[in-house]
Amino acid sequence: MSLSIPSAVINWDILNEIISMDEDEPSFSKELIIQYIDQVDTTFAEMEHHLHTTKDLSQLDSLGHFLKGSSAALGLQRIAWVCERIQNLGRKAENTFPDQTDILNTLPKGVSLTEEELKKCNGDDNDEVTSQDVEDGENTIYIALISKALRQARLEFRLARNALSEYYKTEL
Amino acid sequence: MSFGNMNNNQGDYGNISLPLAGLPPHSIPPESSSMSPTSNTPLLPAQTGRPPANEFVRKLYTILEKNAYPDIVRWTENGDTFVVLDTGKFTEDILPNHFKHSNFASFVRQLNKYDFHKIKKKVTDVERSWEFKHPSFRRHFDEGLDNIKRKPTTSKRLPMDDDALTGGGASISLQAQTEYILNNTVKKDNFNKLKKNFDDIRSELDEVKMDNANYRAELQTLGSKYNAMVESLLTFRTVYENLIGNFQTLCTSLNEKGIQVPTNLFEATHINGHSHVYSPNNANAAMNMMNGLPTKSVAGGTNSANIPSIQAILSNGSAPTQQQKPPIQSPTGSVIGPALPLLSTPTLPLATNGPQAAMRASIKLENEPNNEAQAVLRPGFHVLLVEDDAVSIRLCSKFLRKYGCTVEVVTDGLSAISTLEKFRYDLVLMDIVMPNLDGATATSIIRNFDNQTPIIAMTGNIEDQDLITYLQHGMNDILAKPFTKDDLHSMLIRYLKDRIPLRDQQKVQGTPGDDGQRMSISTAHDPSTNVKTPASTHPAQSGAGRHQSPHDLTHRSPNVQLQTSQMQIDQFRDQQKNIQPINTMNPQDALVPDQDVINDEPMLKKQRL
Repeated sequence: MSLSIPSAVINWDILNEIISMDEDEPSFSKELIIQYIDQVDTTFAEMEHHLHTTKDLSQLDSLGHFLKGSSAALGLQRIAWVCERIQNLGRKAENTFPDQTDILNTLPKGVSLTEEELKKCNGDDNDEVTSQDVEDGENTIYIALISKALRQARLEFRLARNALSEYYKTEL
Repeated sequence: MSFGNMNNNQGDYGNISLPLAGLPPHSIPPESSSMSPTSNTPLLPAQTGRPPANEFVRKLYTILEKNAYPDIVRWTENGDTFVVLDTGKFTEDILPNHFKHSNFASFVRQLNKYDFHKIKKKVTDVERSWEFKHPSFRRHFDEGLDNIKRKPTTSKRLPMDDDALTGGGASISLQAQTEYILNNTVKKDNFNKLKKNFDDIRSELDEVKMDNANYRAELQTLGSKYNAMVESLLTFRTVYENLIGNFQTLCTSLNEKGIQVPTNLFEATHINGHSHVYSPNNANAAMNMMNGLPTKSVAGGTNSANIPSIQAILSNGSAPTQQQKPPIQSPTGSVIGPALPLLSTPTLPLATNGPQAAMRASIKLENEPNNEAQAVLRPGFHVLLVEDDAVSIRLCSKFLRKYGCTVEVVTDGLSAISTLEKFRYDLVLMDIVMPNLDGATATSIIRNFDNQTPIIAMTGNIEDQDLITYLQHGMNDILAKPFTKDDLHSMLIRYLKDRIPLRDQQKVQGTPGDDGQRMSISTAHDPSTNVKTPASTHPAQSGAGRHQSPHDLTHRSPNVQLQTSQMQIDQFRDQQKNIQPINTMNPQDALVPDQDVINDEPMLKKQRL
């Protein structure tokens, strides 16, 4: 199965345009990115909350859409792609999500995550469907898939942060 | 003989059965008469001694603890189950000695009554072995014995068991059946309780159903009331516009007759809310106005239809005094302007071209010789940005300011409506997916009172069906997310190129903001204005209509919108393809405004802050 996820972590055409705005407002792009990072952290937490408590697919749909927009605006195209999957899973327009290794294989050569980073993003990996969950009916499968996608989004976020930190020569 | 001793203290199996059951004698089934005398005799002494309730289990436990018959019965390795290795010897030797019978089935049944379970035999096990388990029955675990009790319903059946020791056969199966039936019977008061619950639930359900119907009815009434409100609001709007028009006609006529009308009277008759928006930057605006003039007149010369409006601008620009105005503000112009929305049906041929057609036409005209370099956006356009994502807001408003626009931000559809009710903007950029109210619905409501302000959808959903929806809701165009600075610029050029920022219109002319629109409307009615067929609306083919600013044509009946939307989508797709090449071919497009704006930037920022 070939994946449609863009290979490069950052679409530099888009990000460079934003960086060029630094000319008349130094650190504009950096502040924007820091704002984005905050936003991602908040949104991930909200997604996590909805995955574990409300199991509200429509909320997950709109959170996915929301994050897709800001990620794409900054050229962080791989996160945007994963967020679009979350959005579509939330509205049941899709019913699969590719495996982590398959997605990571699409990365360009030389781009990877350390074992530690992988472990951190994957968490305790407790999101598999349990027998109690099954009684929630067919939504369970979507909740499980979105959990999987969210883990991937965290990985992609880590990749993007690494790339951005490298560019700005500072830990973001 | 050790077992004999042990039994002396504990009494035999029969001892415990009746006291435990605690049943009055009459409940003992008739079969009990056949009980063997041996089990009956020790009964009385045991009753007085009140031995532990589960004598049978304790006896078994003691045997196992002593491990006197390791070949016949013993604990398993873990000590949490026990196993009868040789049922034959067990029945022959142990049962008669300790349990006063020699029926292995009876022993097993007794175990069952105490909730022991037989463990499935593993392949490796001795063939005739039987393994039993109870969670509290473990090696060296005396305390656990207290937890081993008879299953409640089985205690009733105890006398029968005693009988079964001797009777066996048919009576066992009869007993099992009765037991089964009793186990599965619901008590009468339980049944009544459940029935009552059920009735309660049913009546509650009926209530909820009733409520639901009421709510539905209420919702319908509300809906129709809302529609009526919107309709009357629309009527009110039209009447209001007519009144304004008439009032201005009156003012103009009065002026013509030499009667001085106080300047501030004009201001007072118009929406006052947005005046603060236009107040700053007065001198600058006037400058822009003047700069814009030469181009205007050159372009106007090529199209006779434009002459009236060009004149209007010229006279306003060169001598922006109150006395100069009356001739320009011809009575017809003022009256037709506000009334236009009502005339939309007669102007259908125009409308079918859609706003984009007109827009494209105007862009194309600007690209004619002499005008190429003038593809510059005037600074000072006031843009309403409707967007809920902080990052996008920051980015988009940065881009807009870079192009000399001032930006106001609201974060949902409801605020967009209320803001547009109070203030006017040169352009609205509207996100689609937002909390409270989505952009498309908001637009359709805004279109009830504002047909003029261009509203551009900003969205990542650009499926055909989505595009049709947006256009049907009255949005003028779609800016696909994520967009670049240049995408945004082409959109601004498309809708604002020929326009003078609202604030400048007001300041320079000293008249309310929609004069500019009125002028262009009058040209739209000029017979020499081309009425284009859809095929001719592509930029490459269209020539005229330079002064039909897009929003003059946006008032269309829904049917017309339906017909045109597919065409518009095609155009949109074309644009998507074309935007990039166009921009790379004309670098000035992007560069010139930047330079203009940089000077303005600090001032604009101050104004925003």
